[in-house]
Amino acid sequence: MTANAPAAPVVSLTGFSAEYRTRLGVTRALDGIDLDVARGELLAIVGESGSGKSTVSQAIGRMLPRVCHVTSGSVHVLGRDIASLAPDAIRALRRESLGFIPQDPIASLNPTMRIRRQLELALRPLGRPTDLESLTELLASVKILEPDRVLRLYPHEVSGGMAQRIAIALTMAREPEILIADEPTASLDAQVRDEILTLIVDLVQRSGASLIWISHDLGAVRRWCDRIVVMHQGRIVEEGPAAQVLDEPRADYTRTLVAAIPGRQDPTTKEAE
Amino acid sequence: MMQILRWSAGRVMSALITLLGVSVLIFVAIRLMPGSYEDIILGPLASAEERQLLAEAYGLDQPIFVQYFAWIGQVLTGELGTSYVTQSSVSGEMLERIPVTATLTIMAMAVTLLAGVPLGIWTGVRSGAKQGGAVGRVVSSIGISVPEFVLGSIVIFVFSQFSLGLKVGGFASIGTGFWPTFQALLLPALVLSVFCVAATARTTRDAVMGVLVEPHITAAVARGETAGHIVRHHVLRNAGIPILTLLGTITAYLLGGAVIIETLFNLPGLGSFMVTGLGRRDFAVVQATVLFAAAVFVVLSLVLDLITSALDPRVAVTGKAGS
Ligand SMILES: Nc1ncnc2c1ncn2[C@@H]1O[C@H](COP(=O)(O)OP(=O)(O)OP(=O)(O)O)[C@@H](O)[C@H]1O
Ligand SMILES: [Mg+2]
Repeated sequence: MTANAPAAPVVSLTGFSAEYRTRLGVTRALDGIDLDVARGELLAIVGESGSGKSTVSQAIGRMLPRVCHVTSGSVHVLGRDIASLAPDAIRALRRESLGFIPQDPIASLNPTMRIRRQLELALRPLGRPTDLESLTELLASVKILEPDRVLRLYPHEVSGGMAQRIAIALTMAREPEILIADEPTASLDAQVRDEILTLIVDLVQRSGASLIWISHDLGAVRRWCDRIVVMHQGRIVEEGPAAQVLDEPRADYTRTLVAAIPGRQDPTTKEAE
Repeated sequence: MMQILRWSAGRVMSALITLLGVSVLIFVAIRLMPGSYEDIILGPLASAEERQLLAEAYGLDQPIFVQYFAWIGQVLTGELGTSYVTQSSVSGEMLERIPVTATLTIMAMAVTLLAGVPLGIWTGVRSGAKQGGAVGRVVSSIGISVPEFVLGSIVIFVFSQFSLGLKVGGFASIGTGFWPTFQALLLPALVLSVFCVAATARTTRDAVMGVLVEPHITAAVARGETAGHIVRHHVLRNAGIPILTLLGTITAYLLGGAVIIETLFNLPGLGSFMVTGLGRRDFAVVQATVLFAAAVFVVLSLVLDLITSALDPRVAVTGKAGS
């Protein structure tokens, strides 16, 4: 599908290595990562806890914590080497091209402000309309049922699913070309998970953005994504079309990962979902 | 709304109970101090009859709870009694002295806020960088560990040895106009504020650092917002809550510190009034000044609490700010 697209990748990591240096010692988090993400591609990154998935996602926005040091390689976003960008330029890139969907949506909102005020504060610097009608419309676009009531609430008064819709609205209002979602449903009930994923994928497909989605949910990944990257101990051990990687895993690690999914013990079973 | 009303009513109730507790404590404590009023006034050689007469004159021979209710009754009608020693009206004397202490503490509070908060924000925002951390640590450890009578003595020594433009102990000019009063109180206020500046800077720094690692700040950074925008809208407001809480403690500290500073700099304020009263076992004076200080403190904390609950929507509901 997108493998033979002629366009240049929107995100590209080349020989990227990084390590966390803390008082407790040095942890090698990423070890020579090579990864290209095509325009409009829905890419999943899977792998066990600690394999370096979040570090990859943070590296794309130059959002690595201070203790994390890049030891080699580079990250290009829309053709630009982000390590060389001035603070202003990296902010402009985050603002205009990147969209991060948070892991804990309620915590991603300022607890001391009503939703409406937060939306205003985030949208005004972008020159977007912040009148009541536009904000109501924005919330309606992420399928929030009573937008005018929700605008008056504080973050602690909304549910996790609702907060995630608000966070998604905040992100999508900027029409990012690259959307990065690090376990966007980790803190949500199983029942809302599907709704949120459907919403994200729907918005991504409509806007033509690329999605980099970090997930532990292989079933959902298989259903939504074009391509899967499997990470293990800071390396990419396997990548390819979603169905192929999950149904005919080549790497030993992928096989154990797939075997761990309940009801999918036999990787050759190809049940419909 | 109902919840906020109920919460406010609860706070007012607990403020009244606090004041009641303070009144009982001070009333009993001062009577438990070694050396009674009669001893101090009449000296050790007085006869039993003389002592008896004096005690009767002031009602000190009555059971303590009778004395207490008589006093509270007076206080509730706005009457603070007369000094046992000078026979002058306590409230009259206090009215003359309150402006001195009020100006002193307000000036010290202003210095605390104007110096401590910006210093804390700066060191907090820069906490990752090396300079900010070092400055914050040095300022706060010196400020917090040096008692103000040490600092005050040094300041008095330096400024009285070398005429540096500011007068020491120039209380003659107090009340003769804004500028002379300001000049006379500037040094005492600065000395009084040192601890509070350090404590405020430290609390502010910790609060700012605490807010900076919250996910909603990361989210704002990820949206590409500028540092100025984030600090203004998301850091200051949220870090303001612990700072407001600290202001209550600082007020208490300033009121207590004023006692030492006024004595040290020889200022005619409430603090020195109380200390003199204490030395002479002048019950009426001590009771009135302590109760007044407690009332000021209680009212101020009440106001601070109301502001905090306006700043943090979670306060009114849970009774305390979320972390
Ligand atoms: N702030 C940090 N300080 C020190 N080490 C860290 C830090 N963040 C991550 N690490 C280490 O870096 C490695 C990769 O972490 P990362 O968060 O990228 O993993 P992950 O794949 O996202 O895991 P999870 O599925 O649990 O989110 C891990 O070994 C982790 O312990
Ligand atoms: Mg992670």
